[in-house]
Amino acid sequence: MRVFEFDEEREKERYVEIMPIFFRVQHLILMITVGVLFLSGFTVLFHQTRASELLVAMEGGVEVRGLLHRSAAVVLLFLVLYHLYYILFSREGREEFQKLKLKKKDIADFIGVLRFSLRLSDVYPELDRYSYKEKFQYWGVNTGLLIMILSGFILWFETASMQLFPKWVLDIVLIIHGYEGMIVFIILLFWHLYNVHCSPGNFPMNRVWITGKVDRELYSRDRRGYTGKK
Amino acid sequence: MSPAVKRTLVVASLIFVAAIFGGRGEAKISLEKCTICHGKSEFRKVLVDGKVRNLYVTQTSLMGSVHGKKGCVDCHFDVMEIPHRQRPKKVTCTHCHYKGNPEGAPQSDVYLEYFKSIHGQKIAQGNDKAPLCQDCHGSHDIKHTKVPGSKVSKENVAETCGACHMKIYANFASSIHGVKAAEGNLDAPSCPDCHGEHNIYQHLDPKSTVYATHVPVQCSKCHASVALMSKYGIDAEPAETYKESFHGVASKFGAKSVANCASCHGTHDIRPPEDPLSMVNPQNVPKTCGQCHPGANANFAAGKMHIDASKREAGIVYYVAAFFKYLTITTMLALIVHIFLDLYGRTRRFKEGK
Repeated sequence: MRVFEFDEEREKERYVEIMPIFFRVQHLILMITVGVLFLSGFTVLFHQTRASELLVAMEGGVEVRGLLHRSAAVVLLFLVLYHLYYILFSREGREEFQKLKLKKKDIADFIGVLRFSLRLSDVYPELDRYSYKEKFQYWGVNTGLLIMILSGFILWFETASMQLFPKWVLDIVLIIHGYEGMIVFIILLFWHLYNVHCSPGNFPMNRVWITGKVDRELYSRDRRGYTGKK
Repeated sequence: MSPAVKRTLVVASLIFVAAIFGGRGEAKISLEKCTICHGKSEFRKVLVDGKVRNLYVTQTSLMGSVHGKKGCVDCHFDVMEIPHRQRPKKVTCTHCHYKGNPEGAPQSDVYLEYFKSIHGQKIAQGNDKAPLCQDCHGSHDIKHTKVPGSKVSKENVAETCGACHMKIYANFASSIHGVKAAEGNLDAPSCPDCHGEHNIYQHLDPKSTVYATHVPVQCSKCHASVALMSKYGIDAEPAETYKESFHGVASKFGAKSVANCASCHGTHDIRPPEDPLSMVNPQNVPKTCGQCHPGANANFAAGKMHIDASKREAGIVYYVAAFFKYLTITTMLALIVHIFLDLYGRTRRFKEGK
């Protein structure tokens, strides 16, 4: 029988921090605000269901629901503004952002992983710290956020919008706001939650969002292009 | 036998005999006796305030009314002798009108709603201007609602209510509903169709049928019916599209400040949009929207208000909605397919150690 010995040095070596506290707090704020926005938004989007009647009662009536939705939106907006400041005006942020730019390699990697999964090739592509997975999510959610923020403001200040645009513009904006929220939800559910919770190796949860650390060995197996050293 | 018991027995047997020999008809005062005085055409009383109370009643007064087979004292049962010394009390209709009555009145308890209504409440508070049954239904000339000439028939009820609610009646009489109802059109709503009959409450009372969040329900009773609306060339869709609109959803969830049908179309003065006096006439739309959206300009009148994004008539809105519908479905399917591929790929990597 093998006795497990706790070796502090080896433990330190074993884990590598890829998500500093500063990112984890941002992730937490993002998670809470987006959660509140989904709940309060879907209450209206699926207003004909029983569930939404329950939700609106939980949220304290339809007026409070609106207040909740807009409050969460403002917090999220500040987070987005902070993120913009970070990637534009801080050295670290600018460097990190460079790694998130879409490259031709990402498409090649994506096709490579698909080919591997379909048994069309035996080579698994070498993925970087930010692989096509992270990039798809980052840019997907960014596009979604931009659309949600713009359409959200048009709907929030409806009198000013109606003074400027004909009514059909607002009708379209309302539809876009609803569907885009739905699409962001679907991406989070079927892409993000699968990747971090349900995919083999991560079940029941990848704890990186709490501890900020990943198993160096497991991680480097997944990201052969990433050594964990700056 | 004690004297007390004896006395009781004597009284009981006397009542029994009186019940057998004293038929109801004999105890009643016949109609002829009343008309000795009341049958004179100039029989009236000048009240203290100078008003004249007409007391002329003939044998034919009740004929043609629902109480045609009743006599005077069936209702004025406090008149025990003729001539009566005091003014008879106001007639209490619930003497006969209750469920289970043996008098032949309709077996219904719907009148009980009156006591809880604003009119009943005001009477209970001692407001003698509030209406009693006879103020709306009439006294000697009560007819069925559906009989022309009834005070509460489709064409007359607005005037009856208007006796007290004069300003509202003036507003309503010139509205499209008022004009049609006065013509006797049974499809057109008159006061009770929206406000209820006996269960009338103030519009700020949540029990009211015209409480802010109940208004769409009331209007939908007719305006959601394609069969009824097509008769008059009116689109039945707005009743449905309103429910899907932001106003409609908020109203459904109990928001009172949000616009309901009446906020834009008016309450008593509803007119067709073509009418220049209509609140939803393009010229008046900025003012109408401006009630809640200060600063509303002419741009508010541009475009169709009630649209159904799921119908092709909605134009660009329909195509945008359709595009997003399929985009959502495609995204979802693609991501689900990806999950299965990834599950297989990851398992393969773990197995093969790649």
